[in-house]
Amino acid sequence: MTTETASETDMLDALLQNYRPPIGSADELLDASGEIRPAWRPFVSWLAGLQPDDITRRFGNADQYLRDAGVFFRQYGEEGAAERDWPLSHVPVVINQDDWAEIAEGLTQRADLLEALVADLYGPNRLVRDGYLPASLIARSPEWLRPLVGVAPRSGHFLHFIAFEIGRGPDGTWWVLGDRTQAPSGAGFALENRVATTRAFSDFLARAHVHRLAGFFREFRDALTGLRGEDEGRASILTPGPHNDTYYEHAYIARYLGLWLLQGEDLTVQDGRVMVRTISGLRPLSVLWRRVDAEWVDPLELNEGSRLGTAGLIGAIRSGNLTMVNALGSGVLETRALLAFLPRVSKALRGESLKLPNVATWWCGQEAERDHVKANLDQMLVDDALSTRLPFEAPRVGQGRRPGPDRDPEALLKWIDGDPGAVVGQEVVTLSTTPAYVDGELRPRPMSLRVFLARTPNGWTVMPGGFARIGHSDDPTAIAMQKGGSAADVWIAADGPVDQTLTLTQPETPFRRRRPPMLPSRAADNLYWLGRYIERSEGLFRLTRAYHARLTETEDPKADLLLAMLRDHLAGFGVETDECLPEGLCAAVEAAVMSASQIRDRFSIDGWTALSELRREVNGMRRTVQPGTDCAAAMGVLLRKITGFSGLVHENMYRVSGWRFLRIGLALERALATTSALAVFADPESHVGGLDLAVEIGDSVMSHRRRYTVATSRPTVVDLLALDDRNPRSVLYQLSDIRDHVDALPGANVNGQLSELAKSVLRAETDLMVQSPETLDTIALYATWGAIAEVSERLSEAYLR
Amino acid sequence: MLFDIRLQITYEYEDAAVAARHILHLMPAGLAGEQRLIAGSIDIQPPPDERIDRTDFFGNQVVEIAYRSPHTEESFLVKGRVERFARGAELDITPELAGLSREIAAVHSLGPDAPSHFLGASARVPMDDEITAYAREQISDGMTVFDIVRTVGLALNRDMRFDPEATTVETPPREAFDNRHGVCQDFTHIMIAGLRGLGVPAGYVSGFLRTEPPPGQPRLEGADAMHAWVRAWCGIETGWIEYDPTNAMMVGQDHIVIARGRDYFDVAPVKGVSRSSGTQTTKQAVDVIPQG
Repeated sequence: MTTETASETDMLDALLQNYRPPIGSADELLDASGEIRPAWRPFVSWLAGLQPDDITRRFGNADQYLRDAGVFFRQYGEEGAAERDWPLSHVPVVINQDDWAEIAEGLTQRADLLEALVADLYGPNRLVRDGYLPASLIARSPEWLRPLVGVAPRSGHFLHFIAFEIGRGPDGTWWVLGDRTQAPSGAGFALENRVATTRAFSDFLARAHVHRLAGFFREFRDALTGLRGEDEGRASILTPGPHNDTYYEHAYIARYLGLWLLQGEDLTVQDGRVMVRTISGLRPLSVLWRRVDAEWVDPLELNEGSRLGTAGLIGAIRSGNLTMVNALGSGVLETRALLAFLPRVSKALRGESLKLPNVATWWCGQEAERDHVKANLDQMLVDDALSTRLPFEAPRVGQGRRPGPDRDPEALLKWIDGDPGAVVGQEVVTLSTTPAYVDGELRPRPMSLRVFLARTPNGWTVMPGGFARIGHSDDPTAIAMQKGGSAADVWIAADGPVDQTLTLTQPETPFRRRRPPMLPSRAADNLYWLGRYIERSEGLFRLTRAYHARLTETEDPKADLLLAMLRDHLAGFGVETDECLPEGLCAAVEAAVMSASQIRDRFSIDGWTALSELRREVNGMRRTVQPGTDCAAAMGVLLRKITGFSGLVHENMYRVSGWRFLRIGLALERALATTSALAVFADPESHVGGLDLAVEIGDSVMSHRRRYTVATSRPTVVDLLALDDRNPRSVLYQLSDIRDHVDALPGANVNGQLSELAKSVLRAETDLMVQSPETLDTIALYATWGAIAEVSERLSEAYLR
Repeated sequence: MLFDIRLQITYEYEDAAVAARHILHLMPAGLAGEQRLIAGSIDIQPPPDERIDRTDFFGNQVVEIAYRSPHTEESFLVKGRVERFARGAELDITPELAGLSREIAAVHSLGPDAPSHFLGASARVPMDDEITAYAREQISDGMTVFDIVRTVGLALNRDMRFDPEATTVETPPREAFDNRHGVCQDFTHIMIAGLRGLGVPAGYVSGFLRTEPPPGQPRLEGADAMHAWVRAWCGIETGWIEYDPTNAMMVGQDHIVIARGRDYFDVAPVKGVSRSSGTQTTKQAVDVIPQG
């Protein structure tokens, strides 16, 4: 017994041998006297008992999960943005439940204060009138939105989902570093960090008393649903789209909570109501959880250059028909200089002192404060007063009028005197340190926490956990991920088993199967084009394989007429055969990925992973593939990958309208490709071998052999690939498939009258049906091609605009 | 002075606009003590699917309209009868710059006329060191704010060339300033930037000018279209004054106000978003006829 304890201690010593927090800052793992805090002891003792390669394997599991899930973040550099692997610091931050309760209480008080403050700023403006806030500070804030002044939020509240960035000062108390009230990100990443960390420490977590996160999200989802009006629309997330650096998170939360993921383009305003453009027409919507900064949501009344917004959205809010989470204009609360006034505002509005202090801040628009900042420049972070950045985030290039980051005192003084109202001084915060696992041992790294609060019918609820930023060195300003920092899970540890009832509560409403969800037109459009690009890629793989396979069998490729025809045919798709892995082929795959990325919330993780792998594979091959046999083999690999994706989608996608658009896209592209291949390679003037080639790229070699006892002839090939309704590669088969799907779409048949789309499908199908291999000559094939192309046109008109 | 006003604005779309939503600032304002709107109407063709009449943050009357179906033309015909009141000669009791900033800080208000709104950058008028330096060169120590406004306005009128072909509604003030040319919108934006750079709250006024001058006086620049000029805040006692830098004059009886804001963005006559792929052409015709 004694020896065991001794060895445990040894192992812990080994793990902590270089763990020496810097003097003058607090540490999360060790208390002021250097003892391990009780909340941490079970975890670090357990971790110390693991073999190094076991730890590596466990961390690898977490990283593998994040890669498979496609979690990434976008790093902005001088060369533009690049997607980077999610930088997880595997060791969580552990916080004792009782300490956490104090933090939660302080932040709840702050949330209530901010709600009262924003209500005053857009309402009676008592704080400005009575001198608690300077008018010029509010009036100059780009986030104080004049069109929203005097507009009371429909829900009765401005704030519904907010976050606070907090840090622990040298004396051990927690400080608020910044308020995130506009459209805070990170909650979904916090959840992903938890899932990943669980992959690494599942056995430990199973018996550890750590609070779970799911209940928080469920409560907020129910709260959002409760904010709806009488419409049947779902509460939805409004995203700027895939080019935003946190789009992954928007899609993830939408999928996790079953919310719609919409872009400004999906919406329109009619008679003061927000409507979603769906394939069944316009449908009302009353709750939007926006992940778009206010400036961009309505080009009519806010930023006129915005292409992300919906004209008239503010009108809908003014009419009392739309709840924005959070209300437009809430971003004004993030203004840096407001931190200087909050302690007094708290007393004025609520008669209370702040339970958690915020970073000491001096606004230079006031004379005494300006003098203080000027006299203490070397101990201050001097920055833009109206900025909403957090203290450790660097300004983007060209942002603000702040002199360079060199902190040249003369330039700072000139800036302050030139426009004092534009400047704040802030106390430089020393953050606490927390363990990171570096080279087989724990090292102290600076840390800040993002904590999330959601409004429920019963008041604020605090996520029992959060998103920790971990610095990559001792530099406390280097915790931003843009500067190489990483992220860690946050464990709120209880002394005994945690109360799990929260995560088990069910919605009050009884179970019922929801009516078929509505499909936004933009999503339908992307699904349709995803289908088309996937099929196009597959077709191009086959054509390229056929070309390279023949290339090796030919002595003089230049003289071979069939190869020349293939070259021309491929060139028609933008594919140049002298490139081993042609640009045009990569572009088709890329286009498929782009369509899919617009609707990531509609894919399973597996579906997305399969598609991403395909892209990776294609890009990887670009550098290595050799012409001839090697390329033909590579195409075989790609074909197997892409059919894997198609299969996954086909097997797993719920049979609703979205799936039909994808299927129509696939069938239509295949019908077009097969028709044009027949027109070229089955033409009587075509070169010898053209018929076999047509059968090969139509993937019907086996079928031909089985169906006809003779060798290929024009009638057999045309029959099999165009007219045989039992061959799943034939044109006629695609057209019947399209007809089935179109008939099932909303509006296909109104009072017995066929839609223009349904008519066009029927026309193409019957025209083909009455043909025979003899009558379906090249001219007739081109006519068929035109009829199919018209179906695409009618489909866009009916549903996708 | 009584005026009859007629304004016609027409947009033609090369390809039909599928849908559109606009905010209109077209109707002469009713302003206690300054201007009375006796009668006014806006006729919109084709008739819009939605129409909302409301007041914006700065107290301007706005009309919001929306179209849901394709259309190739939009036409706005405004008719109004307005009475402008003469403003007595100004007694200059305005402070100097240092005093002005104290008076600004003493206004504990975010109401539509509060000076604080008109100090920093706004949507179309960024703070500009060059324009500020230019404004500073024009003034001298000891000048009152009233003097400063007139001095900067006069200097701009002297140094800038009125040229209706040189700029568009989208031209940034700095570009027009560098070339020293433009129309009333450019003159106004540049003067606003200069005054704000000096610490004088300054805003934008859109309106009309009397088309034909009184006998014996020259016709004013900008009378053939909608006009714009500057308003500046000169301290608690004097409040807002208005100056027309395009014509180097204090605004008087022949200027008729439509709307006031921080810059063109707040008061654009027809603001909005049309879903159309082609180009559009605009025509504008204004008549402001005195009725005695």
